[in-house]
Amino acid sequence: MSTKRKILLGIGVWLGGAIALGVLFGSDGKNEEFKPQNEFKLDAWIPIEIGGVDVSINRAVFYLVLASALTVGVMVWISRRMAQKPNRVQTAVEVAYDLTRNNITGGNLDAKMAARWFPFLATLFFFIWFSNVIGYLPLPTNTHESIDIFGLQMPAFAIYAATANISIPLALTLVVWVSYHVEGVRAKGPIGYLASWLPPGLEDMNPAMKGFIFVIEAISQFARLISLSVRLFANILAGHLLLLFMGGGLAVLLGLAALGALTFPVAFAFFVLELGLIATLQAFIFSILTAIYLGGATAESH
Amino acid sequence: MDLLIPIAQAAEGITDTGITDAGKAIALGVGAGLGSIGAGIGIGIIFGKEIESVARQPEMKDELQAIRWLGFALTEAVAFYTFIFGLIAFFL
Repeated sequence: MSTKRKILLGIGVWLGGAIALGVLFGSDGKNEEFKPQNEFKLDAWIPIEIGGVDVSINRAVFYLVLASALTVGVMVWISRRMAQKPNRVQTAVEVAYDLTRNNITGGNLDAKMAARWFPFLATLFFFIWFSNVIGYLPLPTNTHESIDIFGLQMPAFAIYAATANISIPLALTLVVWVSYHVEGVRAKGPIGYLASWLPPGLEDMNPAMKGFIFVIEAISQFARLISLSVRLFANILAGHLLLLFMGGGLAVLLGLAALGALTFPVAFAFFVLELGLIATLQAFIFSILTAIYLGGATAESH
Repeated sequence: MDLLIPIAQAAEGITDTGITDAGKAIALGVGAGLGSIGAGIGIGIIFGKEIESVARQPEMKDELQAIRWLGFALTEAVAFYTFIFGLIAFFL
């Protein structure tokens, strides 16, 4: 049998099985109880309130602490047991270290700036990477529902990531945004830094047009706040929503068991894509854009 | 929306909240659906140009790879901006 026929047969069995399931079980009608947005709801596990500000310990805090602990733990553990003949874990971390050092930092900053900002950029990369990757491990954190494992009542398994909540990418972005402006002012002085926002080749232009272009450039500086944070947040959130709906959420919502059989392989394909590409790519993009912004703020001329 | 309500209410059984829900669903559909068209075209252009460049200059492959992922991620994010605004319209 040729490969083409095998693939066609596989697709035929898959679609046929789903249709057979649909005919056998039919639809239970729309499920009004299941609320997909509850999967991303943050329950206060330990309610804390300081001066009217809610600082409760919840799921996002748990994931944030977990990601930070993993980042620090893994890097310290690897650096303590460095060997002449590296094993697989050390090789993998060395590849990532090399990427952050030579590609992200070295490629966008000059030697002095690179030495100063490499620790920050590498930490950003590893923190976001760990945060994204543990977001795809099902952990028992959904306190709305409970499941029974060997007579033990546990919160239901759910996927969530610290970066799927806008607060964490926004906090990281604010740190980046403030620090590259401070670096720019330090390198060129306040007036020189603001003047360097104008693109080169405008020397002969009249002041009114220059002012107009300056306003546009200033707006684009503020737009970076939104684009940098929302890019990371939306990528991870959309990935989690896709996995939720494809991996059974759609079938439960519509009460169609057959739809679950149809969408589950899609969920698996998306899981591989998200874990293999998007998690690493978003960490890479966030830190390389930080390096580009830092480099752009301090470069002598464009 | 206000213009549509009297017309819709002429038909029985359609309420104001029903129309609002329909508007929200349309917002999410347009945000997620139409938004991905542009990003899809953009990603296609990025990968197409990269294949073209590597075919012309195979020795540039490694350098182009890093630029390609940067461009891919920046373009892909545009689809998610519209998607997020669709979600905001749907849930808020």
